[in-house]
Amino acid sequence: MSQTVLICDDAIFMRTMVGDILGQAGFEIVGEAETGAQAVEKYQQLRPDLVTMDIVMPDMGGIDAVREICKMDPHARILMCSAMGQQALVVEAIQAGAKDFVVKPFQPSRVLEAVQRVLG
Amino acid sequence: MDTLQYAQLFLTESREHIAAVNQALLELERDATGPGAAAAVGEIFRSVHTIKGMGATMGYAIVAELAHELETVLDRVRRNDLGIDGEIMDTFFRAADVLEQAVEAAVAGRDGEIVATDLVATLHALGAGDAMARSATWRVPVPAPDRAGTLVRVRLSPDTPLRGVRAFLVVQALGALGEVVATEPPLDVIQAEGFETDFAVRLVTSSAPDEITKTAARMGDVADVQIGDAPMKPRAPRQSRPVQVVDLDAVPTVDASQGNGASSPRSAAISREVSAVRQVRIDVRRLDSLMNLVGELVIARGRLTQLADTLGDLALEETVQQSSRLITELRDEITASRMVPVSQVFDRFPRLVRDAARTVGKQVEFVVEGKGIELDRSMLDEIGDSIVHLLRNAIDHGIETPEKRLAAGKPATGRLVLSAARDRSAAVIKVSDDGAGINREVVLAHAKRDGLVDANKTDLNEDELLRLLARPGFSTAERVTNLSGRGVGVDAVYTRVRALGGAMDIRSVPGQGTTMMLRLPLTLAIVRALLARVGEEIYAIPLAHVSETIELVPDIRRTVKGREVLLARDEVLPLFRLRNLVGLGPYEAPNEIDLEHVVVIDLGDRRAGLVIDEVTGQEEIVVKQYEGVRDGLPFFGGATLLGDGTPSLIIDVSSLL
Repeated sequence: MSQTVLICDDAIFMRTMVGDILGQAGFEIVGEAETGAQAVEKYQQLRPDLVTMDIVMPDMGGIDAVREICKMDPHARILMCSAMGQQALVVEAIQAGAKDFVVKPFQPSRVLEAVQRVLG
Repeated sequence: MDTLQYAQLFLTESREHIAAVNQALLELERDATGPGAAAAVGEIFRSVHTIKGMGATMGYAIVAELAHELETVLDRVRRNDLGIDGEIMDTFFRAADVLEQAVEAAVAGRDGEIVATDLVATLHALGAGDAMARSATWRVPVPAPDRAGTLVRVRLSPDTPLRGVRAFLVVQALGALGEVVATEPPLDVIQAEGFETDFAVRLVTSSAPDEITKTAARMGDVADVQIGDAPMKPRAPRQSRPVQVVDLDAVPTVDASQGNGASSPRSAAISREVSAVRQVRIDVRRLDSLMNLVGELVIARGRLTQLADTLGDLALEETVQQSSRLITELRDEITASRMVPVSQVFDRFPRLVRDAARTVGKQVEFVVEGKGIELDRSMLDEIGDSIVHLLRNAIDHGIETPEKRLAAGKPATGRLVLSAARDRSAAVIKVSDDGAGINREVVLAHAKRDGLVDANKTDLNEDELLRLLARPGFSTAERVTNLSGRGVGVDAVYTRVRALGGAMDIRSVPGQGTTMMLRLPLTLAIVRALLARVGEEIYAIPLAHVSETIELVPDIRRTVKGREVLLARDEVLPLFRLRNLVGLGPYEAPNEIDLEHVVVIDLGDRRAGLVIDEVTGQEEIVVKQYEGVRDGLPFFGGATLLGDGTPSLIIDVSSLL
């Protein structure tokens, strides 16, 4: 059975791209969230195997969402999606419980490597 | 990666973000210190950040660079490190414009045309001084003496993105095996990327060296791991700082059990049940062709219903009724899927109004109401330019200069309201200003000069005013301005609105302002119509404009000043005879009982009676583009095919009223 993914990013563009990369690799995209609050809510509903999380989002940022999700499920597997120049924020996200990160612009191979690491 | 397929998506989304940026910039400009300012800056930051990420992914270097520099400046503003003044606002507005151009150019493959070096330099200067500020947020306290433990040396690949964070992850993963007592360089330096590829961790653990190596190597971008105090192969040890050893008790440890467990099938099972609403993106052209198809289906349904009626087969009638209902639902669904909120177009107007007002040195407060009202997407696309025309007119010709306003006892700042509202099956869009109003004397004088009205006429009512202003090329503008150019442009708007099956209205009160009102059908394609017969001919009257149908009994008909009028519910309405309009002879009653009928048509608050022979039914009709014959009959708004396949002309109610 394919593993399930929840994609959290406020840009449809990014959600589509991440969705395509992961979809082609055989993952099942079970949900998308545009805000941190939605991410938390959808995580609770869907309990996906993997979450990809943008850092900068409206209505609760990605880091707070990671915190909330990990409160709910300490074993949540969250991959941060970051842009260049956000090292402090990524570190914060990892301290909050994220497992790994990828840096935009995304290269499919890098995304998939990171996903494999997160899923251990 | 083939990014072409994403280009359209990138464009659409970037436009939305740029619109949001402009919106928030306007808010920020209005009140740079108030409670809303931080939210506005945050909003701009997020949008710019998103554009940066998308632009970089698409390989649009200029977009990414511009967005990056702008983001840096915004970040300083966000952290109260940089105050906002007029100059910075201007730079922001300019940046938003250039960013928009860069986005459009990049997608069109013309990014070579955009030169933004000046702006990038300006932004860069504004953003400077920021370099290390952000990375200082993470601190590790007090250096501590070296302790025992295994030394783990790690080398990252040279092209590792965010190598500070990657190294941090490695340190954290090692921490899960035991206790990290120190790192070299210190963790805050590691995190701020104060190393090139190599760093070291001193780890107290019971894990075997093999396990340590594997754990570190698994963290990605790790090129090499060495355990033990044997020196690493020499490799550019750019050590600008003295070696420090830092206590790392502050580093949170990670639950060692996680990350290794087999991924559970539970979530996959649950997900199928609760799979939330998913969205797909559809090419607008596909929606258009769906709409056309359903239009054809509606016509075929009309024909089928008529056939079934003639045959009188119960089973057939029942089936026809059922499929008829389904077709109605299908049409409603497709119509609904084409509806978009007017905000998609309205959101770009505040910026336009601001710039326009600045150009002519006027102060304008711009209010938008009813942004959530939905219109058919193609209708919205068609009407956008007309609204721009009206807004520009209001600023250019309507609202006065601050001096004039003050002299007239009004506040220096003019008020311009753009509103959208639903009225039955129509959308009403209004552009109102509180300016000087249209100068009727000037219009009248021009009209007399051009021989458009009787030389003895002394006043113009609203309809006459609109009709004059809507004449192609009719202009009262004393001078040609940058904004509206020559001609007021009302004719262009009027023609466009009529072509869309809508109507236009003017209300103008001297000294108090002008309101332009556009009534638009919600969708272009399908309307319900009353079928009216005169002689052998059937005409369609859009039901949205029909308020009632009555028999023309003699005592509701009067003649006033030589014109026929209708007395309906205490109202006196002008009466038109469709037979006269289309050039048929007078009505000859087949017997004494069959009277003529009158359809009361209305448009907003204007009403009239239209005399016909009889009403033959109601039908959904598909409006087909109709090129009126030049100098022909002006009161037809389109043509349609009726259920039985006969063509019929659609009466344009607005031209009669």
